[in-house]
Amino acid sequence: MSCSVAGEEDFFLEEKRFKQYCEEFIKHSLQIGDGWEWKTSKDLGDGYLSKTHFQVRNRNIAKERNNDNIEQTLFTDVEESLDDSQVAGVCATEEVIRYEYHVLYSSSYQVPVLYFRACFLDGRPLTLDEIWKNVHACYQARLLEGPWDTITQQEHPLLGQPYFVLHPCRTNEFMSPILTSSQKQNRHTNYIILWLSTVGPVVGLNLPLSYAKVAPEQNTNADSVERPLS
Amino acid sequence: AGGSPNTNPPYPGTELGGGTAAGGVNARPSPAVDILLKAVGDTPIMKTKKWAVERTRTIQGLVDFIKKFLKLMASEQLFIYVNQSFAPSPDQEVGTLYECFGSDGKLVLHYCKTQAWG
Repeated sequence: MSCSVAGEEDFFLEEKRFKQYCEEFIKHSLQIGDGWEWKTSKDLGDGYLSKTHFQVRNRNIAKERNNDNIEQTLFTDVEESLDDSQVAGVCATEEVIRYEYHVLYSSSYQVPVLYFRACFLDGRPLTLDEIWKNVHACYQARLLEGPWDTITQQEHPLLGQPYFVLHPCRTNEFMSPILTSSQKQNRHTNYIILWLSTVGPVVGLNLPLSYAKVAPEQNTNADSVERPLS
Repeated sequence: AGGSPNTNPPYPGTELGGGTAAGGVNARPSPAVDILLKAVGDTPIMKTKKWAVERTRTIQGLVDFIKKFLKLMASEQLFIYVNQSFAPSPDQEVGTLYECFGSDGKLVLHYCKTQAWG
């Protein structure tokens, strides 16, 4: 058990609550076409959030755009329904990367965990270094200092394949202050939205702003945030 | 693309909101919006809490500014929340957040310092 500091309490997320928040999350994702799905493992009955997302990395586009010989690197999001012919039409100086993001529940830490991997279209997986190139600059200082205690590679608990994982051991530590603060004002806060919007950018995953306005279900409990353990 | 970098730092805000003028509606929005920064948990509180920030400043830019103001180390993490329920993307512009979540002429943002990973 971690210690409470200055009146904060620990917010452990029960699995049932995890699923409720995920359901709310998926509902909103469907409304805005953000591409998240709920997947279940046939054998285990566990479920998780899943999203596949393509990203085109453009290099040397200056040739076509403005005749300057300034190398630019732009990132463009491409819809998942990009078909083979469109992908083949992308010129050789561009690379298409397929990202997969999964949100699983960790019963040992009682928090959600972000699993992800990325590969080129030919199936070659990206190394951690290559993924980090896509990490927003503001997080790179921290990642460079201690990369091995932030992102590790582990076997996916349900799929059995290697994925990168954003380590969950400090999740409770950074979630508790904002949840405590939020609860004081009786705000409904979707734990998954709060958590994923916080950690996602570290690995190139940005949630659209409309998730910030997800309204509570009318039939959820008044205790919209998990009560602290007494 | 990040656009041109902001060279104007946020400056302390006044009571007047950034987007209104006395007695009428502006033909175009003012370049800066009023932001009220609130500390979460045991994050240090900024002596000046109200700032006028250019609309095009990003969340990342605001994070850098707060970290500098609070003299945090580059490796310390600072998160900014809107509605205490969502962390906007680092390249989200403050002006957009103000339009979506501002009220009473200001946008309230909560900030929280923490070591997030490890």
